Amino acid sequence: MLFKDQIGFIRQHMKRNRLRTAMTVLAATMGCAFLIVLASVGFGLHKTLMDELLSNQTVTEIQIHGKEDSGEPITAEEQELIRQLPGVDAVVARSYLESPSRVLLDDRLNRAQIILTDAEQEAKAELDLSAGALPSSRNEVIVGYHFAENLLTEQELIASEKGESPAGYRGDLIGETIRLEVMSSESEEPGPETWEFTIAGIAEEPAKDWRVDNLVLVDESFREEFPVFTAPEGEEVAPYFEINAYAEDLAAVEAVTESLKTEGYYVYSVTEEMTTMNLFFNVLKAGLIFVGTIAVLIASIGIFNTMTMAVTERTREIGVMKAIGAQPKLIQRLFLMESAWIGIVGTMLAVVISFAVSALVNQLIPNIVLNILAEDGAGAEGMNIIVSDIPWQLVVIASFISIGVAMVSGWRPARKATEIDVIQALRQEL
Amino acid sequence: MIAVNHLVHSFKVGKKGGERNIPVLKGVTLEVRKGEVTAILGKSGSGKSTLLHVLAGFMKPDSATVRIAGQETTGLSAAEYAEFRLEHFGFIFQNFQLMPGLTAFDNIALPLKIKGVPRGQRELNVLQLLKEVGLQEVADHYPNELSGGQQQRVSIARALITEPPIILADEPTGSLDSETEQDVLQLIRSLNENRGTTFVIITHDEEVAAIADRQYRLHDGELVKGGKRHAV
Ligand SMILES: Nc1ncnc2c1ncn2[C@@H]1O[C@H](COP(=O)(O)OP(=O)(O)O)[C@@H](O)[C@H]1O
Ligand SMILES: [Mg+2]
Repeated sequence: MLFKDQIGFIRQHMKRNRLRTAMTVLAATMGCAFLIVLASVGFGLHKTLMDELLSNQTVTEIQIHGKEDSGEPITAEEQELIRQLPGVDAVVARSYLESPSRVLLDDRLNRAQIILTDAEQEAKAELDLSAGALPSSRNEVIVGYHFAENLLTEQELIASEKGESPAGYRGDLIGETIRLEVMSSESEEPGPETWEFTIAGIAEEPAKDWRVDNLVLVDESFREEFPVFTAPEGEEVAPYFEINAYAEDLAAVEAVTESLKTEGYYVYSVTEEMTTMNLFFNVLKAGLIFVGTIAVLIASIGIFNTMTMAVTERTREIGVMKAIGAQPKLIQRLFLMESAWIGIVGTMLAVVISFAVSALVNQLIPNIVLNILAEDGAGAEGMNIIVSDIPWQLVVIASFISIGVAMVSGWRPARKATEIDVIQALRQEL
Repeated sequence: MIAVNHLVHSFKVGKKGGERNIPVLKGVTLEVRKGEVTAILGKSGSGKSTLLHVLAGFMKPDSATVRIAGQETTGLSAAEYAEFRLEHFGFIFQNFQLMPGLTAFDNIALPLKIKGVPRGQRELNVLQLLKEVGLQEVADHYPNELSGGQQQRVSIARALITEPPIILADEPTGSLDSETEQDVLQLIRSLNENRGTTFVIITHDEEVAAIADRQYRLHDGELVKGGKRHAV
């Protein structure tokens, strides 16, 4: 029998039982749609948290907290060795000036965070400039994107304390000379020591609009000069506050993290968190798919019933087909194709419906949740919540399960059809 | 064309444990010649249908050697016999056995569909045959819109559409009134003469058997008399 004629044969049969076929397809659709929508919540939440995780930090960053069995701070030589590791772009050692300090420009003042770092490594890692250039001498600095608007006159300072938002410095900062005052915490008589710097560049605006970048990046070599970093006789002062390695890309992060670990460093990178998160969500997704599959199995009972009835009803016709000379294999295939058709159409409808439901859920639920959070005073405006996400993998998995189950449930009836005895079948009343 | 040698078959009846064997065919030997109409005549229950079912391969006899068109058929598997039937046999049944969901045209085309003949070829063949059996007018009617005589013509056309060498007919006029019966018998005769198709007709009716070139009489599972008659 030609494939075209087999299709025609099935169509003719289903036409005769339009309502029954439609109801069975409906059951298959509901089962499969339930599976997809249920599992899509797992995928959606995973995506939400993953996006959140990845957007809150530089994903290629590997934080190095120290080294095993030494307790010693990481030396410049060790940093250089890490820099040589394959997949590492840069190693940035930042020291945060913790003693009180302020930056002055004419009559304006900014209590910016002072950081000692190597601008070249910063630039290789993640620092991009919105204006100016990298420092070319040790007396040049880079300031954060929000440095200007936090550089305030006395009146503006008072206004900002009242809750207003003053404009800050409006002019071009590049080339301006700023004065830095640092209060020595060690000296008996605290008094400001001052240094002068020229602004060489301004950093790019932070990706997250709520983040404020009010830093001043000062050259490493001032370590010796700033009072707080100058260790008094006999005392140990940790020279680095924060050391980060930067991998070439996200794919390299895991390998670099692992090789640093084997070298004995205490490290943290986004992959650490991703591994636990992925494990958790993959288990959750598998669980949801399992529960959804139960719905598909319930629908399959409908397919089994429909196909069994179809075979019973057509016993005489099957007998005639066999008498004429149809192969048992052909009879089996015709019935399997029919149950597969139910499965395929059910699945296709289910996919369409699932995408619609998913879109609806993503419209409604985040709004409701954010409204409730807003009433509670908890700010979650910046959060982009995806409740339901249907990646193509989920569509493939669900289709596989749904069509597979449909074919398995049609297997028994199809088998029964091939076993029909011609003599018995022809004896049946019309 | 068909040579049956010492066909023995008995049915088991009764509950499991207390089964009895009822012998139905007790060593039947017969021959069907190519191009002839052969009638197998016998009372109801004499085993005629069982004999035909064995020839058609619908069941396996207890023992026999059966040669059809030069092939030993008792050893064929179900799938092999299905193919053999498609090649060698057409069937005419007492109650027509048409597909209720198909028109007369599509019922006749069914064996060609099963055989895998493409649609264009199929339609040509069916139209030709519809003319031959006088059914052009009712080609698009469904079986329940046809008279008994018309239905039997459709089923005869269906049996002939693949141009098989042998037609097996089990009580082909059993459901028809005597006038229609004569029409159908005439049709069988003329098809036999025009096409040279071999017919094996099973009947309890002497009048039907009268159109045959050769008659066998079954009585209690044994052939009591065989012989050649000349066509009417
Ligand atoms: N499947 C069966 N099981 C038991 N007995 C059967 C079966 N089929 C036929 N018989 C018996 O075999 C005998 C012959 O039947 P059959 O060949 O149909 O006769 P006929 O066609 O000549 O009327 C009958 O007595 C019938 O009851
Ligand atoms: Mg009979």
